[in-house]
Amino acid sequence: MGQAYAVLVVGGGHAGVEAATAAARMGARTLLVTHNLDTIGQMSCNPAVGGLGKSQLAREVDALDGVMARAADRAAIQVRVLNRRKGPAVRATRAQTDRLEYRRAVQEAVLAQPGLEYLQSSVQRLWIEGDRVRGVVLPGEVALEARTVVLTTGTFLAGRVHRGSDREDAGRAGEAPSQGLAEWLRAQGFHVERLKTGTPPRLDGRSIDWQRLDPQPGEEPLPRLSAEPPERRLPQVPCYLTTTTPEAHQAVRSALDESPIFSGAIESAGPRYCPSIEDKVVRFPDREGHTVFLEPEGLHTPEVYPNGISTSLPGSAQEGLVRAIPGLEAARVTRYGYAIEYDFLDPRQLQPSLALRELDGLFLAGQINGTTGYEEAAAQGVLAGINAARRDQGAEPWWPSREEAYMGVLVDDLVTRGVDEPYRMLTSRAEHRLHLREDNAESRLAPVGRELGVVGDTRWQRFEAAQAELDQLLGILEGQWLDPQQVGADRAEAVIGGPLSKPSRLADLLRRPEVGLDQIARLSSIWELEGFSAEIRERAEIEVKYAGYIQRDRTEHQRLEAELDRPLPKDLEYRAIRGLSNEVVQRLEAARPGTLAQASRIQGVTPAALSLLRVHAKRRVG
Amino acid sequence: MSPRTIAAIATPPGKGGVGIVRLSGPLSRDIALALSGRRHLAPRYCHFVTFRDRHSQPLDRGLVIYFPGPHSFTGEDMAELHGHGGPAVLAGLLAAAREAGAEDANPGEFTERAFLHDRLDLSQAEAVASLIEADHDSAARAALRSLDGEMGRLVNELDEALTELRVFVEGALDFPDEDVDLLGEGQILERIDDLLGRLDRLRERAAGGVRLGRGYRVVLTGRPNAGKSSLLNALAGREAAIVTERGGTTRDVLRESVAIAGTPVELTDTAGLCEAEDRIEQEGVRRARETFYSADLVVFLVDAAVGWNEEDFAQWQRLPVDRRHWLWSKVDQAPKGVDGGGVSTVREGGLEPLTELLRTRLLDAEPQDALGARERHLEVLERARGHLETGRQAFAGYGSGDLVAQDLRWAQEALGEITGRLHSDDLLGRVFATFCIGK
Repeated sequence: MGQAYAVLVVGGGHAGVEAATAAARMGARTLLVTHNLDTIGQMSCNPAVGGLGKSQLAREVDALDGVMARAADRAAIQVRVLNRRKGPAVRATRAQTDRLEYRRAVQEAVLAQPGLEYLQSSVQRLWIEGDRVRGVVLPGEVALEARTVVLTTGTFLAGRVHRGSDREDAGRAGEAPSQGLAEWLRAQGFHVERLKTGTPPRLDGRSIDWQRLDPQPGEEPLPRLSAEPPERRLPQVPCYLTTTTPEAHQAVRSALDESPIFSGAIESAGPRYCPSIEDKVVRFPDREGHTVFLEPEGLHTPEVYPNGISTSLPGSAQEGLVRAIPGLEAARVTRYGYAIEYDFLDPRQLQPSLALRELDGLFLAGQINGTTGYEEAAAQGVLAGINAARRDQGAEPWWPSREEAYMGVLVDDLVTRGVDEPYRMLTSRAEHRLHLREDNAESRLAPVGRELGVVGDTRWQRFEAAQAELDQLLGILEGQWLDPQQVGADRAEAVIGGPLSKPSRLADLLRRPEVGLDQIARLSSIWELEGFSAEIRERAEIEVKYAGYIQRDRTEHQRLEAELDRPLPKDLEYRAIRGLSNEVVQRLEAARPGTLAQASRIQGVTPAALSLLRVHAKRRVG
Repeated sequence: MSPRTIAAIATPPGKGGVGIVRLSGPLSRDIALALSGRRHLAPRYCHFVTFRDRHSQPLDRGLVIYFPGPHSFTGEDMAELHGHGGPAVLAGLLAAAREAGAEDANPGEFTERAFLHDRLDLSQAEAVASLIEADHDSAARAALRSLDGEMGRLVNELDEALTELRVFVEGALDFPDEDVDLLGEGQILERIDDLLGRLDRLRERAAGGVRLGRGYRVVLTGRPNAGKSSLLNALAGREAAIVTERGGTTRDVLRESVAIAGTPVELTDTAGLCEAEDRIEQEGVRRARETFYSADLVVFLVDAAVGWNEEDFAQWQRLPVDRRHWLWSKVDQAPKGVDGGGVSTVREGGLEPLTELLRTRLLDAEPQDALGARERHLEVLERARGHLETGRQAFAGYGSGDLVAQDLRWAQEALGEITGRLHSDDLLGRVFATFCIGK
């Protein structure tokens, strides 16, 4: 088969694509192997990118020159910015996309990536020698040699689809699962568990009574996810809102005994933030209705994704449920909803670089690590791709800290705390939320990305230009002063709603809650301020207003973490430490935290336990 | 970031002859200098000094010794402050060290640090490790006990109320498409105010408990030679203040700790409040005035041999109205007996009126619902309060949820230092249990 690849990526979903393209951007000779080249970039759940925590991840992937945000912008057909008034740290862009266009955009990015090859095939098992990976073995015992392998098998690992009492081994509806690899991984003694997730039925939009429904238009001007403005954008269409009814709930209730979740056919945990309609009806019996978002699947298909009624009830019950919803009385189901169970590897077996601790050269990314969501998968993909390439280059692994990026929160949560339901990013998981914003994602990560070699020239030049503009504006705000006499009390009162009692820096004025950059420009008559783009002006305003809060946050964290900045030996015998509960010992053994700080984030670890760890770590080292 | 500088009383509790407050960490030397008023401390050398708090109030006289690292017990810079025992005096030294930047040491932390800095050999280390384990065991039991009681219940209740608020706030932030938007409905300020109110009541009761634990501050004052120092000495049973027949001998504020009805009371003997002429005495008078504001009770002594005179009246007027109380002194020398209470250092039982006064004015007046709390708890509650305050301001000013959410997080982390929970137990789990969330 010729020369060994530097990086071999198994899987062509959101994780696989980012891993393969990132590794190739770093100059590694990379091969992407997937069972079907035509489904690279497929959105298997709802056709949307972004949302709380997720848009921040998408922007971080983008800051590392990744694919997802640009593809989403190109395919966007309805875009909103959530939480606009609740503060910049929780502001999140969400783009409804045309499923086909998204896939096309991703495939084009893959095709256009120099140094990236691809192959359609399934993978039977890994090729291992001693404790390191040598490549993969394809059906027919064909060996492909690679110095590192990134596994991104999504829900395909021993996937099993449930609908009513029907069950079928499948990776996605209608697609074969990856059975051989799953069996092989279990046989190797890896800690493998199962999770479940689900989808709603899809509807034929031509059979929906749109007149009766509330439209939810996107925003104008069209927000975007990528820092790079797209060349062209698609025409925009609204989503529509409707709601379930007591009759719909009755339809669900009467079919519960056929639900695989309640019959016991599915035992694995599903996501609590994305419950099936069965779960909602059972757990919140008092609710008379649950909102349903009717999301278009694209511009050229009548198919509609009714977000909010994920279900694994039998087909007839799904129809009964749908038809009891206003506007959907005559709706035809085009594909039935289902629940899917799949294998994942306990991510506590990973290092933060996403490399397996026990097997050199093997990286895992995406749903195989127990996460859910395109953005979570993409973020892990970039990280795994970068680290696979670095492993090949003989460089130290890299990962961002919790303070630098949602990516850092994601991997740290995965490797230290593990998962007991599909892991979805949320902003409340980030203790440095005020700093980890959409607006500064590129400033946070592009410089390190450039250093790593994963950010290309075009991207870097555009970033540098934007950053220079921002720095210039911040320089003016920090450097220019306003004098009360020069302004006049009346004008100050009129423009910024209060007096100017002493000479003030523009930045200090901007820190006042009610004052924005526009008012500063008017009050100061520094017309230069008007010359900056709206985007840069907004970023500067946020930077200035939040600087104090972020600083305070940092100080507080440092106070708590200063003494936790101490490594723990890899082979610390937790069982030998008197005074730790069995539960805590088990969690520590599974996660093998690298530092005391990581240990402190493990559930059940108390200050006293930390102190014991500190002492024993030292005793071990001598 | 450098490690904390820790401080603790190193001698066993109770009224010993000498008590030691020990410091370890980078600020040890600075703190020792600040408290001793010296400009220089020779390593491992005993200096005789007067310890003063940051208002230059004398706390005690004693020895200070500075041990530079790494040749110290812990391997870090250390200092020892040797005082005259007595829980109130030592607590005062410890509080002053805290004000100067030290933090309370955790159980076993000095030994732990010694161990971490290679100051113990392997066999010692094994022994110490089990010692620390045992220490934590008993500390954990003690913490549990103190949190078993009313204090623990109330802090946990407060923590629960804070969790509930955070569930709403975080729910509204992370799930904007769901109908859980508390932020929009403006209840949030109300709920923060409610939390602040509860926190304040809790703090007040905890402060009462801390006073009961640490004792009371009582100031003895009066005209020069009114008998303050003799009284102090009689109560303390030893010559603490220099007493002469001439008035105005006591220039420094001196303190002594005595037990009254089982509760430590710290008595402070001040310079008389006359219009002093010489500068040293003026300084003493200034300090005495300051002392009145930190006292729980000010006892004004009037010489029974002389009776009230104009100067007495003038001084009495200057005392804080809510805590002043007067007593006759030297009743044994009164020409024809006295009306009202009075003390005598000569007569048998002559001190009874004072102890009776302290009992009624302090102990019996303490709220019956005082909580078993420590200084550390008060500090934590204060910090939590600060976070709630800033969160309230941020929300009132910017109206944005992300800022207030962060402050609520910090407030809860602070309470965690009392409840012993490192992270709020699965807040998201609570969000999901409370709201039907998800598409």
